[in-house]
Amino acid sequence: MSGAIPQRPLGRTGVRVSALAVGGHHLGDAPTYADAERIVAEAIDGGVTFFDNCWEYHNGRSEEWLGRALATGGRRDRVVLMTKVCTHGRDASLATKMLDESLRRLRTDHLDVWQVHGVVFDNDPDLAYRNGGVIEALDRAKQAGKARFVGFTGHKSPEVHYEMIARGYPWDTCQFPLNPFDATYRSFEQRVLPECNRRGIAVLGMKPMTGRAGPIVHKVASPEELLRYAMSLPVATTICGMESVDKLRANLKVAQGFESMGARSMQELRDRCRFTAADGRFELYKVSLAFDNPQARDAHGFPNDPTEKEVKEQLEEVTGTDKPR
Amino acid sequence: MSAASATLALSSSARAGGRTSGRADPPRPPAPIPRRAFGRTGAQVSIIGIGGSHLGDVRDPVEAVRIVHEAIAAGVNFFDNAWEYHDGRSEELLGRALQGGKRDQVFLMTKVCTHGQKADVAMRMLEDSLQRLGTDHLDLWQIHECIYDNDPDLHFAPGGVVDALAQAKQQGKTRFVGFTGHKDPGIHLRMLAHGFPFDAVQMPLNCFDATFRSFEQNVLPEAVKRGLAPIGMKSLTGAGDPVREGVVTADEALRYAMSIPGVATTVTGVDSLDVLRQNLAIAGGFEPMSAGQMSALRERVRAVAADGRHEWYKTTTHFDAKVGRGQHGYPTPEELPL
Repeated sequence: MSGAIPQRPLGRTGVRVSALAVGGHHLGDAPTYADAERIVAEAIDGGVTFFDNCWEYHNGRSEEWLGRALATGGRRDRVVLMTKVCTHGRDASLATKMLDESLRRLRTDHLDVWQVHGVVFDNDPDLAYRNGGVIEALDRAKQAGKARFVGFTGHKSPEVHYEMIARGYPWDTCQFPLNPFDATYRSFEQRVLPECNRRGIAVLGMKPMTGRAGPIVHKVASPEELLRYAMSLPVATTICGMESVDKLRANLKVAQGFESMGARSMQELRDRCRFTAADGRFELYKVSLAFDNPQARDAHGFPNDPTEKEVKEQLEEVTGTDKPR
Repeated sequence: MSAASATLALSSSARAGGRTSGRADPPRPPAPIPRRAFGRTGAQVSIIGIGGSHLGDVRDPVEAVRIVHEAIAAGVNFFDNAWEYHDGRSEELLGRALQGGKRDQVFLMTKVCTHGQKADVAMRMLEDSLQRLGTDHLDLWQIHECIYDNDPDLHFAPGGVVDALAQAKQQGKTRFVGFTGHKDPGIHLRMLAHGFPFDAVQMPLNCFDATFRSFEQNVLPEAVKRGLAPIGMKSLTGAGDPVREGVVTADEALRYAMSIPGVATTVTGVDSLDVLRQNLAIAGGFEPMSAGQMSALRERVRAVAADGRHEWYKTTTHFDAKVGRGQHGYPTPEELPL
C-alpha cells in the first residue's frame, strides 16, 4: 500500500501529527549514529512528523543522536518534537535542569511536547501534584516558551493514569501502551483512552507490539496486524520503536495510505489475543520490573534488589550521574 | 496459596511467633471473641478465622489438632481450608480435629481448585474435601484463586465451576458459596458483576492494600452493597516482611484488618500454638481501631505501599499456584518470554 501517512489532530492543541511516530529508545539502539540519522531522514521523507525521546534513554545518546539528525537540513522545523523529563517524583527544580539538558542535546530552543516520564507507582500522582512537584516545572516551561505542550507517560497501571488525569491538571497529551493484549488485560484502552478523548487530551499510543517480540515469536499476531490495531484506535499517533531502516520501512508500509482495520477485525484480533493476554505474559511492563528503571525506584526511595535479573541488567546499563546508590 | 508461599509465610509466622515465649498453660483470652453477621446468610462467625494453609505447615499432627481445639474453646468458629493445600493434608488435619462432635461447633469452609476446569472436576474435588474433612456438608464452598483476567469467563462458561456451586448447594453439600483471589480488584468486580448469588467473597485486606490496587477501596463496598460476607485475608501480607522490617507491628496490622468496616471475619495464618494465643489475645474483646487511627496507619505506610513491595500476591507470581498456571495453559515464571 502506498500514499501519505494520515495526519491527525494532536488533541485540542491545533497541531497535526503523523499517525506513526518514531520512538526514541530504539533510535538509541541503532548500531551507529549514521544508522540513526538514516532512520530519522527516511522517516521524515516518508511522512513521519512526530518524534519521541526521553532525558534518560541510553544516558542521553538517544537525544544527542536525534538532535544531531534534526540539526541537518532544517529538519527540526518539520517535526513535532517530544521528550520526557525523569524526575520520578523529585522536585521541579531538577526537572528544569533536565529540560535545559534535553534542549541542549536536541539542539533546539523549544520542545513541542514535554512529558513527565514513567508515571508508574501508586504515589506518583501525589508526588507530581505536591507543592514543588514536577507539574510546577511544566507550567514554568510553558510560560518560558521552552515547551509548547505538556503531558505524562507510563506503562504500569490504568488506575494511576486515571488518577493523574482526574486530579485536574490541563494535560495536552498522555502516553500509554495500546495493543490488542492491553485491550482485555488491565486495560488502558478501556479505562484511560475514553477519558482522554472526552477531555480532548491527545493520546500517544506506545508499545503497539508490546515492546518485546513475544507475541510475534509465538505467532499470536504479526507485526503488521499489531501496528494496524494500535493505529486504528482513536489516538493522535502511535509511537513505534525501530532501530533499523528495515523496520522503519516495514512500518511505513503500514502507515502510508493507512486505513483503519474496522471494528470487526479489531474485535477478532482482541478475541484471538484474549487468552494469552490474561496472565500478562506479553505485557511485561505491567507485570514485571522489566521496564522499570532502577533510577526511578531509587528516586522514589524504593529498594532495588540487585539479585533481580531485570534490575541487574539495567544497573549495568546505567553509567551516568543518575546511577542509583 | 502455593507451597512456596506457604513456606514464606511459615518462616514469617515463626518470627512473629517468636515474640511470645513458653508453651505452659494456655492463657485464656481476656474476653470472648466477638461474632459478626456473615453477610445475609443469618450465620454468625467469629471475627477471626484460622487459615488452612498454615495449619498444614504444622509438622506435628497432635499440635495441629490442639491448635484447632484451643481455637474452638476460645470462641473461634470460622475455619478456612482448600482442596489443594499441602496435597490434602490441611483438610485431613482439620477433619481429624473436628471429629467427636466438634464439626457442629464450627463454620467450615473449604475451596475448590478447578483453576478454570469444568464443573465435573469441581464435584469430584468436593467429594474429596467432604471425605477428608469427615463431614457430609460444608458451610461455605469457595472458588479458589480467581487471579487471571480470564477467570470470570472460564468460571461462568456453560459447565464451568459456577454450575458446580449451584449444584452443591442444591444437593445440600454446602450451605453457602463464594470465591477468593489475591491478585486484582478488577477481577473480583467482574466476578461480582455476573450477578450470581454468591454468599461470600474473600480478598486480601491490610493497611498496604488500603492504598495500592486496593480491594478495600474497590471490592469491599461492592460486596457489602450486594449483601455478601467479605472475608479478609493476608492481614500481615502473607509473608510478614513489613513486620520483620519494622514497618508495622503484627498487632497493629491484624487490628487494622479486623477493624475495616464491613468485614465479616479475618482469616489468619496460624502455624503454632504461640501464634494462635497471640492472635486470640488480640481478638478477645476486640475493640476496632477508630477511623482516625486507621487513617493515620494508612498514611504512615502509604509511601512503601506504593510500589507493591509488601504485596507480592498482587505484584509477583509467588503466591499463584503453579498448578493454576499450568491448567490455564500459561508458561511457568521461568519460561516467561523475558
